[in-house]
Amino acid sequence: MLENFARAIRGEGLLPDNQVICPNYSAESAVGVYRNNYRGNLRGALAIAYPVIQKIVGQNFFAMMAKKFIENHPSHSGNLHRYGAAFGDFICALEPGLPYLADVARLEWACHLAYYAQDADPLDLARLAQVVPEQYESLRLPVHPSCGIVKSRYPITAIWHAHQPGMPADFRINLDDGPTIALVSREEDEVRVRALQEADALWLHSIRAGIPLGVATFSTLECYPNFDLQAALLNLLPVLTA
Amino acid sequence: MDNRHILSAAIGGLLALGLVSGNANAADKMNMEKCWGIAKAGKNDCSSNKSAHSCAGQATRDNDPMDFVAVPKGTCEKIAHGALKEM
Repeated sequence: MLENFARAIRGEGLLPDNQVICPNYSAESAVGVYRNNYRGNLRGALAIAYPVIQKIVGQNFFAMMAKKFIENHPSHSGNLHRYGAAFGDFICALEPGLPYLADVARLEWACHLAYYAQDADPLDLARLAQVVPEQYESLRLPVHPSCGIVKSRYPITAIWHAHQPGMPADFRINLDDGPTIALVSREEDEVRVRALQEADALWLHSIRAGIPLGVATFSTLECYPNFDLQAALLNLLPVLTA
Repeated sequence: MDNRHILSAAIGGLLALGLVSGNANAADKMNMEKCWGIAKAGKNDCSSNKSAHSCAGQATRDNDPMDFVAVPKGTCEKIAHGALKEM
């Protein structure tokens, strides 16, 4: 019965009239009302998670993309904030003529996850000060749950910033500016996006995988001899936790 | 510079800078109260049954008196437009 209902809501089947207890409407129109609300909720969830995409393509095109996406991606959670993870991949397959759009969507999803990620205490420097230098090599630094990294061939960090509320409408972004690694973090309850250097990104990737500070640093230095650990620590302090 | 020295120099430098990391984290989520009328669009904590949406984060306009965010107890009344009761 529930399976039938879910199929009917997705528009893949009809419910027999005797399964809908609704004296004034036919099963079809009653389910139609429910379906419209269901789709409207999902469309709203997408619009909240992907404001930059909506700003770039405009409301009409966004509504069309959302409609197509919703048709093929049923919601799997009672929590609407979990809906829309695959929108970037969907845009990629859609090939809307804006090659950077899918990566911007992936960046927005990382921001969305960051906003709702769990809290964690920041790295306590007073406690770090008590660690004896002999143990630095084996230190493991947990990374904040809100931290996300999105790589792209396009300057997605600049595109994201240019489309934030209150930014001037006349901006120039050169799509050939080269690849970007975007770092997403949540600091003081605000989601932040900034570009990361390749060396710092590699180091953070190792640290996040739980690799001790020594190995993470020395393997980064092998690939990037100019890697500056102190600068990286300073830069990435907001995403490191206790 | 040998490997070990790289680590101690970097961490030593970090500590010497004496950064006070912002400890304004949400260490205590206890003692919160619902504060209506102050939520930014899209940043509300949960919906009331009167508002036109069904989920946290779905408020469509700023300062909707029917949406709330959780704030530390005692602060709501200090915020412009903040109300402890739904309007």
